[in-house]
Amino acid sequence: MASETLERARQEFLAALEAAGSDPDRLEAVRVRFAGRRSGLVRELEDALKTLGREEKPGYGKALNELKRLIEEKLVQAQALSAASQRPDAVDVTLPGRRPPLGTLHPVTLVRREIEEIFLRMGYSVADGPEVEDDWYNFEALNFPPDHPARDSQDTFFLKGGLLLRTHTSPVQIRTMETTPPPIRVVIPGRVYRCDSDIRHTPMFHQVEGLVVDEGITFGHLKATLEAFVHVLFDPRLKVRFRPSFFPFTEPSAEVDITCVLCLGKGCPMCSGGGWIEILGAGMVDPRVLRACKLDPERVSGFAFGCGLDRVALLKYRLPDLRLLFSGDERLLRQFEGVGR
Amino acid sequence: MRLSLAWLRDHLEGQTPADELAERLTTAGMNVELRESAGDDEIWDIDVAANRPDAMNHRGLAREAAAAGCGTLKALALGLAESKVKAGELAKVTVEDAIGCPRYCARVVRGVKLGASPAWLAERLERCGIRPINNIVDASNYVLLDVGQPLHAFDLARLNGHEIRVRRARPGELITTLDGVERALAAEDLVIADASRPVAVAGVMGAANSEIGPATKDVLIESAYFDGRAVRGTARRLGLKTEASHRFERGADRAMARTALDLAAALIVRLAGGEIAAGVLDSNPKLPAARTIEFSLARLAAFVGREIPAEFAVKVLTALELAPRRAGDAIVCTVPPHRGDLELPEDIYEEVLRHFGYENVPSVLPAEAVKPGARLGSWPLTERGRDALAAVGAAEAFTYAFVAEEAETATAASPLAQRGAPVELANPFSARMAVMRRSVLAGLADAAGANLRGGAERVFLGEVGRVFFARDGNVVEEERLALALGGKVGAWDAVRAADFLDLKGVVEGIFAELGITDAAWRPATCALLARGEGAEIVVGDRVVALAGRLADAAATLFELPAPLWVAEVDLAAAASQPAVHFQPLPRFPAVAADLTVRHKLALTYAELVAAVRAAGPEWLEAVTPVVQYRGEGVAADEVKTTLRLVYRQRERSLTQEEVNEAHFALMDRLARELGVSFQ
Repeated sequence: MASETLERARQEFLAALEAAGSDPDRLEAVRVRFAGRRSGLVRELEDALKTLGREEKPGYGKALNELKRLIEEKLVQAQALSAASQRPDAVDVTLPGRRPPLGTLHPVTLVRREIEEIFLRMGYSVADGPEVEDDWYNFEALNFPPDHPARDSQDTFFLKGGLLLRTHTSPVQIRTMETTPPPIRVVIPGRVYRCDSDIRHTPMFHQVEGLVVDEGITFGHLKATLEAFVHVLFDPRLKVRFRPSFFPFTEPSAEVDITCVLCLGKGCPMCSGGGWIEILGAGMVDPRVLRACKLDPERVSGFAFGCGLDRVALLKYRLPDLRLLFSGDERLLRQFEGVGR
Repeated sequence: MRLSLAWLRDHLEGQTPADELAERLTTAGMNVELRESAGDDEIWDIDVAANRPDAMNHRGLAREAAAAGCGTLKALALGLAESKVKAGELAKVTVEDAIGCPRYCARVVRGVKLGASPAWLAERLERCGIRPINNIVDASNYVLLDVGQPLHAFDLARLNGHEIRVRRARPGELITTLDGVERALAAEDLVIADASRPVAVAGVMGAANSEIGPATKDVLIESAYFDGRAVRGTARRLGLKTEASHRFERGADRAMARTALDLAAALIVRLAGGEIAAGVLDSNPKLPAARTIEFSLARLAAFVGREIPAEFAVKVLTALELAPRRAGDAIVCTVPPHRGDLELPEDIYEEVLRHFGYENVPSVLPAEAVKPGARLGSWPLTERGRDALAAVGAAEAFTYAFVAEEAETATAASPLAQRGAPVELANPFSARMAVMRRSVLAGLADAAGANLRGGAERVFLGEVGRVFFARDGNVVEEERLALALGGKVGAWDAVRAADFLDLKGVVEGIFAELGITDAAWRPATCALLARGEGAEIVVGDRVVALAGRLADAAATLFELPAPLWVAEVDLAAAASQPAVHFQPLPRFPAVAADLTVRHKLALTYAELVAAVRAAGPEWLEAVTPVVQYRGEGVAADEVKTTLRLVYRQRERSLTQEEVNEAHFALMDRLARELGVSFQ
């Protein structure tokens, strides 16, 4: 009963305040009516408090205090605004400021950094290598024999003179293993090139790979690492599924699916209704690859994984077409203002 | 690979429900990507990996299903009736190139009657995406899809000399393949020939000259094992990809060459009548010794991260026909001819693990203590560049590293881009992506133009990326930072067109971020920038950056509707991040005095300030510009520059007299040495 009275008083006050607008006289009248020391409504309600029983008193008292605070704040605010509007030269504070342009980072830079941070925290370094490679680093050391059909899937760009544009960041795995004794923990982000272009493919795109080589590295380590990665990057509720697959440089190999980041597996247009999205390729480093890097597969083992950065950016930012990322369209790029820096 | 579920079941004992079968195949790595129903059958599309040609057929997938716990694989129903006439008396097979063709098997079926296939067979072929043609051709396609062996049927009467010769093509030889195209053969191409001419491209496609037709009576069926590389080379050279070449490239089954031949002969008789001549024309019946692979269960457990029961491993390997034998902790497998992909223990681990289920391996993070990671290589540098771009307000863009030749040439006309020759692609995606850029501006100026043409009032893009030079027979990659600024600058109520000093301010900001100090700006002479509106920036005697208005020729090429201010910085010029040491704050007040100097335009601002500093006392703390004026009251070749001079002694307050004295002395000296006047 008592609380209803308070609520009614609150409504009345707000209505009266709005009706008063910025007219100082009418605001003063509102003040007297509600907060006047002698006969204001608040005063009356305080008096009513005394008549209440023990049980009702504390709740009513608290609610009344809140109402008092609200009335005071709103009145002070309204009177201050009213005073300002009385000055003929008052600034229009709603005009836009002269804001210097904020720079923005490319969405692929944003996801790359996010991914790097996750792995840096797990003790990985971020490695780098050339974009122009030779056959050994891009293929042969990675167990793609010459004339092997597995090379077909790579859609390689060749340069005049016999070198090629790397088709994946995996050559840097080889370069790392050649120069760094185990234990190795690296991620390798970078630009790669394949002769392909449609809504899902651009002839230049970005990958990030990971490589761990040490004594006693197991398939279970690979699973846990990628689960941790996916959960930090997207959402800890996502399920991760490992499916057997084939890559020349890993054995066994896996394709890694996650439940759709949008529908969490219920099925939606983003995951074509299936509930799963393919996100990573992974596997245990093939002993032939270890040997090509002068490492002894009897002593060390390792795992490797990779994913498309552009695709992660697409998923994270709901972009409809990969080609947008390379359009240089400033209307797109400026949408990332305030993200990630 | 498209398959018919009913056909798959033909090879399996047991009736696993379709859903479970699809699920188990997928879990084991034979990903069932698509299912559609077809009457009482289902069509499945299964993604079979490139290293598993053995599973690109119904029997192979049934074997996988059996290993995945869906029933057992039935034995093949072999056996056929042969006539008395010996095949060897009807035809002859000679393999002249045993490297390209390690095994060639053929049978002869006489008295066939060409016709349409029965509905059940035509239907099955169609479900798998193959068009029925006639009963003979369909029979060979059926066996291909059934057991994975590519076959070819020749009209025996059309084989000159009734013989088959497997050899490399002769110079100038031509062949008209079954698709009606006449093709020139190269000396590396392996062909099937009769006594006088090629009658098929080995492992790829047959020829019209020996094709089965309505007049065909006697058929020679080929079932061979061709070398994958030979087939691949020819298929690529001819631009022909067929069901046969796809399988041979990935590795066929040398034993199956013979088995499939019997299946095909029996099926032809069933469909088209006739009788099978006795015996097989087999160039090389002997199979090479089978490879064995030994592995230990302990190693397997250490590799996977948990134990896998020996019984399970044996069961799976048996179902895969690897004939496992246990020897203590070890298991020895014998690799059957259809599994050429298996060489190492790790290959066997995969077989066991994928059937065990990746989901049954516990996830455990590597436990050993780790050292902190770091950014290596050029990452620290390029990341600083990106942060610098964002700090000065640019939007980071990515443009393609390969560009059109004209764009490349137009943006390479600068000392930064002339550090080597352009690197050309041998197989570009299009003419717009033909050459590797030597300047990042090649793509960035293009993108800026697109933004401006699209109605943008202002464009301010930046990019950090690599440029590529051919130098001394090698390709050298360097890191660059580029900027493109065009259209309007300033806030909404103070808008004006961007000019050189807007660009220079941004570049100075970038330099500050990158720790590039002591940079000297001098007029650019390169064709990249409009003459008189650009600068080369040097540190020591090396050009480290360029900044200015993009020259008209390039602006026309990129269809720029407004002037574009561009800059490019060699990121190698960045200094390592300096250690900051506190400088004591001044304790005594400064005295500022403005000085307006009227001087020739030929005297640059930098020269003027240098002269002022030289003419002032050592306690002249700072010289900054206030305003420059040209126009009425000033000669055309002159300018008035107002400078603010700040005097300060660090250890005491200055008196007005000593400031005046120094200031007037400075003016006297300037007038004397530079011939300037004051106002």
